[in-house]
Amino acid sequence: MATAGEKQKVVVLGGGTAGWMAASALVARLGDSCSVHLVESEEIGIVGVGEATLPHLRYFVESLGLDEAEFMRETSATYKLGIEFRDFGRIGDSYLHPFGSFGTDLDGIHFHHFWRRLTAEGRDDDLFRYSMANVMSWRRRFQPPSADPSSLLSTYNYAYQFDATRFGPYLRSWATARGVERTEGRVVDVELDGESGDVRALRLDGGIRIEGDLFVDCSGFRSLLLGQTLGEAWEDWSHWLPCDRAVAVPCASPPGVIEPYTTATAMAGGWRWRIPLQHRIGNGYVYSSSHISDQAAQDAIVAALESEPLAEPRMLRFRAGRRRRSWVRNVVAVGLASGFLEPLESTSIYLVQGAVTQLIELFPTGRVDEADAAEFNRRTDVEYDRIRDFLILHYHATDRDDSSFWNHVRTMDVPDSLREKMEYWRRAGRVSKYTQGLFFEPSWIAVYLGQGIVPDGWDQRADRLDGAALESAMERLHGRIEDAVRGMPEHDFFLRRSGAAAGGTVQ
Amino acid sequence: MTNQSERAIRSILVLGGGIVALSAAAVFARALRGVRVELIETAPDRAALADRLAGTLPTVHRFHSAVGLDEGDLVRRGIATHRLGSRLDHWSADGEPWYHVFGDHGLPVGAVAFVDLWTRARREKRALPYHRYSAAAAMAEAGRFVHPSGDSQSRLSSFVYGLFLEMEGYRDRLRAAADAAGVIRRPGRLDGVDRREDGFVASLSLAGGETVEADLFVDASGPSAPLIRAVGAAFEDWSAWLPCDRVVLERRRNPGGPLPLDRVRAEANGWRWSAPLGGRSEEGRVFSSAFEKAGGAGDAVRIRPGRYLEPWTRNVLALGDAAAALDPLHACGLHLAHSAILRAVELLPGRDCHPVELAEYNRRTVEETMRVRDFQAIHYLRPGRGDGMWRALAERPLPDSLALTLQQFEARGRIPFFEEETFDKESWAQALIGLGLAPRRLNPLARAVDSDRAAAGMERLAAEIASLTGRIPSYRDYLVRMAALPAKPISSRPGA
Repeated sequence: MATAGEKQKVVVLGGGTAGWMAASALVARLGDSCSVHLVESEEIGIVGVGEATLPHLRYFVESLGLDEAEFMRETSATYKLGIEFRDFGRIGDSYLHPFGSFGTDLDGIHFHHFWRRLTAEGRDDDLFRYSMANVMSWRRRFQPPSADPSSLLSTYNYAYQFDATRFGPYLRSWATARGVERTEGRVVDVELDGESGDVRALRLDGGIRIEGDLFVDCSGFRSLLLGQTLGEAWEDWSHWLPCDRAVAVPCASPPGVIEPYTTATAMAGGWRWRIPLQHRIGNGYVYSSSHISDQAAQDAIVAALESEPLAEPRMLRFRAGRRRRSWVRNVVAVGLASGFLEPLESTSIYLVQGAVTQLIELFPTGRVDEADAAEFNRRTDVEYDRIRDFLILHYHATDRDDSSFWNHVRTMDVPDSLREKMEYWRRAGRVSKYTQGLFFEPSWIAVYLGQGIVPDGWDQRADRLDGAALESAMERLHGRIEDAVRGMPEHDFFLRRSGAAAGGTVQ
Repeated sequence: MTNQSERAIRSILVLGGGIVALSAAAVFARALRGVRVELIETAPDRAALADRLAGTLPTVHRFHSAVGLDEGDLVRRGIATHRLGSRLDHWSADGEPWYHVFGDHGLPVGAVAFVDLWTRARREKRALPYHRYSAAAAMAEAGRFVHPSGDSQSRLSSFVYGLFLEMEGYRDRLRAAADAAGVIRRPGRLDGVDRREDGFVASLSLAGGETVEADLFVDASGPSAPLIRAVGAAFEDWSAWLPCDRVVLERRRNPGGPLPLDRVRAEANGWRWSAPLGGRSEEGRVFSSAFEKAGGAGDAVRIRPGRYLEPWTRNVLALGDAAAALDPLHACGLHLAHSAILRAVELLPGRDCHPVELAEYNRRTVEETMRVRDFQAIHYLRPGRGDGMWRALAERPLPDSLALTLQQFEARGRIPFFEEETFDKESWAQALIGLGLAPRRLNPLARAVDSDRAAAGMERLAAEIASLTGRIPSYRDYLVRMAALPAKPISSRPGA
């Protein structure tokens, strides 16, 4: 065991996206305090369909000092301004959940209250046209946001749509060049300390033994250290999030400008993703195996492809839920080893990043302090619970009654915390406020309104302004948004200009 | 028509005799159109500290903008002076004074926080006291003041400030603001509370036999809290964590003139403060009657620290000391009232005050109040002194949220995040360091910055900050320059 002052030995188990993100961030931020040793096995392979990210990944890329254009070239990445949801509330409906806000506050009152008041007074208006990210997506245009908070161009953010199977290897070459040691091998035994019960070492096939002070379990669904070795209990959420399989198949990019957004289309037994990368389109059908057969799901996704498939369909199995605690003794589980929430809102890589950030903030300075682990777990609980509720909302807020799957999710009991949030929204268009974590007010507004839950009332302060003046102010704002977007380059053009396109740079 | 017209609150009745009641009535009336706001001005309660103490926190500006008061106008009228923070004497084991201001200390290097670099430098015995790395603290120490610079590169850009308020003059300004906003204001005395079958308040009976009705009742009547108690809210006693239960408050002549800070001195069984306003100063003494049986306690006001579990219960909203009675330390009373008023108008529920709507208000208000309590409580529960009452307090168990803060700070110098935090990480670090608490281990993140390089940077910064104050006018000159000091100083009056 390292004492304070010595370098802590960190062992990362697993060489997927989670493992290499953890190893990279640890060596970048704590390279003077710890050594990082990553164990991976080519035999096992990675899940690696996570192609969708949230804007937080930008800061991860930045904090490692990676060149964004190079990172995008290496992973065939495109820019992403949000997620379009089709057929969720009702067949034929669609909306785009933007990375950004709706309109601008007036007198400290959120914009959507004014919008709600005017629609109640008879105005026919769509809140989404006051979102920069929406209008940019509709026009397939892109440029990075402004850093000036007073600018309209600062009211959106972006993420990446990328090839996750290339992200891990890209980070691997970055991290190994900075001192992360890598060992290839399969774990055959986990050695525990007889007294403390801590993990002491991993034994690999071929007789290699790797000792450590702290073990980061990135072994995926197997959860080899946290789940299998330490026996941390599993909390199952599949009654709320019944999708447990996915069938993925890429297809060729169609001609035309690449969409700077991901599309999620509701299907009879779940939903399917469509993620436009530079070189292909990623597709997958996420479904509930108790509502639709594997064959039917595969047939449905193949039938839905817009162009020729580029590979055989690949099947994945999972289960929604999480380990009760993510940090137990000297094991910190990151990514799928700690829990799984389906990819509907692109949260998997975010959860990895969040866990790694917390681990760095609470990094042990000797033996693991129980209080640090408790603080890590407290934060993780909050993250998981909020994302879980937000995901369930997408299923539950629906009028669909065209399949057994939708009948189930429409009528199921939801967690009390979500029931209260929905009731709170319905009454006067309010969203419970927090600043830490994921999915703030604009995200909830997008899904509520996009899926047909219009609040009965609004902030009473919004009644103070004159209706006609308000209406013209709103029209002016929309005009400014349209003007700003009209001046932006098309997405493909910006990819080339920024050097992110694999084909090279144009000036 | 939609449900909005059925849902909206049409009338609000505010009960109370002080600043908090006026503040609430004025904000509600200004923000809400077509709502009748009536204020029954009761006799002031001496124990309602939020109505009486002169100090405020930087949140005061947001409140002033909501109520239509202007800082420059208040300063020119001699009602407001600026408050950078406090100097605290005799609170630490080594007897060193420390400062609490609302501003940055030092500069982070990359992703490494300054407090981690300072902690390491102190271990290496090459750090000056923490406040020497803060421009705001340097100004406070020198008794000087300028407004923050708009240039983000300036050392003088990264701080904020509160105000000291002369309550008599301030009350007049608030009255004018309330009247202009259409508040119906009249004196009265509460005689009884009439409840509906569902437990809501239907009306109040006033002395003289009159009955007043409203959709929403605001209890701003101080710690007696007759309305919030009438709807069954339960009180949680905090005296185990905030042990002082007596306050003596008076006004004295202040020949030294105004200063932009107050001085807070610990003594055997409590502490004293002195806030030098314009023409006079506010002098306070706070102690625990369990330890100090006599001694100038004749004029003391009794306080009982604690809070109501749900400050908004049914159609009664409690504000100020009717919601939570805090310790006077760091002048939090009016801050909490301001914050609650602004939150209440933002989250105003429907007429039915549905529990799901009140829950969000209560959650945020309660968390904010509890973290203010924690900030005050750390001064008592992990004191630098070991004499008098302090010896008995040092081992008391902490509230959970404070225990977590202390554990994280002592383990690695980290201040954990809470959603509704009044005192940010900079404030917590000043207090914890000032009280003599120290991380047991260095934050491993600090190793990313070379120790010598960090120390050299700190030395340059401290020298630069020290030289700043020489170029800043004295506070009196600054006020004169603002054309703010009245020709005749405000006459001193006996303690309110």
